[in-house]
Amino acid sequence: MTEDKTNISPVKLGVKIGRLCLKNPVMTASGTFGYGEEYSPFFDLGRLGAVVVKGLSLQPRAGNPPPRIIETPSGMLNAIGLQNVGVEAFISQKLPFLRQFDVKVIANIFGETIEEYQQLSAILSKVQGVHAIEVNISCPNVKKGGVVFGTDPAVAASVTRKVVAETDLPVIVKLTPNVTDITPIALAVEDAGANAVSLINTLTGMSVDIESRRPYLANITGGLSGPAVKPVALRMVWQVVRAVKIPVIGIGGITTAADALEFLIAGAQAIQVGTASFINPVATMEILDGIGDYLIKHNLKNIGEVIGSLRV
Amino acid sequence: MTEENNAELETGQIMANTGLAPGHFLLVIGLPGSFPRPAPGQFVMLRNLQNGETVLSRPFSVYGFRTNGDSATLELLCRVAGRGTQLLSRLDVGAKVGILGPLGQGFTIAPAVKRIILLAGGVGAAPLSFFLQEQARGTSPLPTTAFLGAKNAEIVTALEARFTGLSGVHLATDDGSIGYHGAVTDILGRELQGGDNESTQILACGPTAMTKALLRALGDKPVRCQVSLEERMACGVGACLGCAAAIKDARGEIAYKRVCKDGPVFDIRELVWERLL
Repeated sequence: MTEDKTNISPVKLGVKIGRLCLKNPVMTASGTFGYGEEYSPFFDLGRLGAVVVKGLSLQPRAGNPPPRIIETPSGMLNAIGLQNVGVEAFISQKLPFLRQFDVKVIANIFGETIEEYQQLSAILSKVQGVHAIEVNISCPNVKKGGVVFGTDPAVAASVTRKVVAETDLPVIVKLTPNVTDITPIALAVEDAGANAVSLINTLTGMSVDIESRRPYLANITGGLSGPAVKPVALRMVWQVVRAVKIPVIGIGGITTAADALEFLIAGAQAIQVGTASFINPVATMEILDGIGDYLIKHNLKNIGEVIGSLRV
Repeated sequence: MTEENNAELETGQIMANTGLAPGHFLLVIGLPGSFPRPAPGQFVMLRNLQNGETVLSRPFSVYGFRTNGDSATLELLCRVAGRGTQLLSRLDVGAKVGILGPLGQGFTIAPAVKRIILLAGGVGAAPLSFFLQEQARGTSPLPTTAFLGAKNAEIVTALEARFTGLSGVHLATDDGSIGYHGAVTDILGRELQGGDNESTQILACGPTAMTKALLRALGDKPVRCQVSLEERMACGVGACLGCAAAIKDARGEIAYKRVCKDGPVFDIRELVWERLL
């Protein structure tokens, strides 16, 4: 277990995402951490700022046929197909495990119609142990829905409005980078009542096996994640931070504390770690410790002194 | 069912890296003595700490494991399949590597079993060798016969090294350079005709073509059979859902299971024939 330096040092790492108070800015990204169980043997989940669970749909989903993943330069493509146990099974079978830990649980949701998003919001709002909803309007791996919602500002706003109407929980809208300009979409969901935005989801990519002359993925295309996407993600976070007033959560290729700090300096209130956990199950803990070390090294007392401190 | 959740994340050191045959190498990795003893059929995720080019760890079945008080030695039998394994084949003695494991569900021998048949295709021999190693440590190893197939004589004789003390070892090569010329499953049929199939269990590991041929060869004979599958992996612990395999349950309903967590060992009759790539 990595040493918990936050108790020893005088630095304050707490951040606020609207009404949601996190003990630190380190969250796990949806789809990369299951429902928490698989990684619990490696560190105390209670040290995380939040766990964002695998995306939930109304009904269970089987997901895509294999092959579902392929490594690419400095990253990987995935076409999992949003396989999940469904919201009811999450509540009865998966959530109780997470509730054992002192960690905020954020339920990521997606639907094929706006009504499904609405229903998911309503269902999860009545559940003890869920602290916020993250709305996936951006998965590029599903053939219908997903991309459509997140690439049109009006549609994105409509989904947001319906989700917000059904709940008192903080609503975070997760944006897709597969757009010409992410700023109008961020502004539209802010206007529609989103309490925060998180970005980026994966970039659509492809990889071909030159011996078989077939795509490596059964789905042909997939979502690119990992270090390769970091410069794009960081640029988009910076753009959105300058456009909206609501908090921005940064996601994309964060592997080390230095990566996380880039996003915080650019204005993100918190960050999510995804692919890095596959490579190193304790990556989130090393990032958390590294952020604390940076503050100490620079004689800073509070993470707030770093957030948005980009000099341009 | 193998022990759940006893996996650890450790840094190991390469103690030896030996070429066994073209494209095949043996890694001997030093680990702390506290590393949990793997069960046959379990695997580890090997992370290359020397080279930043490849991002993901690579999964390898445990080929050998010994403890010696403060230290343990893990052996992995590897084939160069792509860039990641090519870089791993160049690891120097002394190099640090990341080891996550032991992972997955290993082989289980049913209580009624009195005879074991091992069926290996290429590096599929690795977990079956470890099964033999562990069986030999036990009090009453069961009579065991092995069928090993590979591309050619050089490879199959390297893989054959640890298949000792058996009732019989039968070789097959694609090019006929040693043993039977053709698919290893062709020579399995004779073994299944003699002997009591109801108390026989087959443990198999090899390419998908071999698994399909094995399914055909079994037909509806009442032989127990477990297969260890392979699939590209990212996390190796069951979180990412990347390593899906179509598996049918007792009612015949098909779902995607995780080769890393629900497998890699499955009952052959759970595999969905039409979906085997």
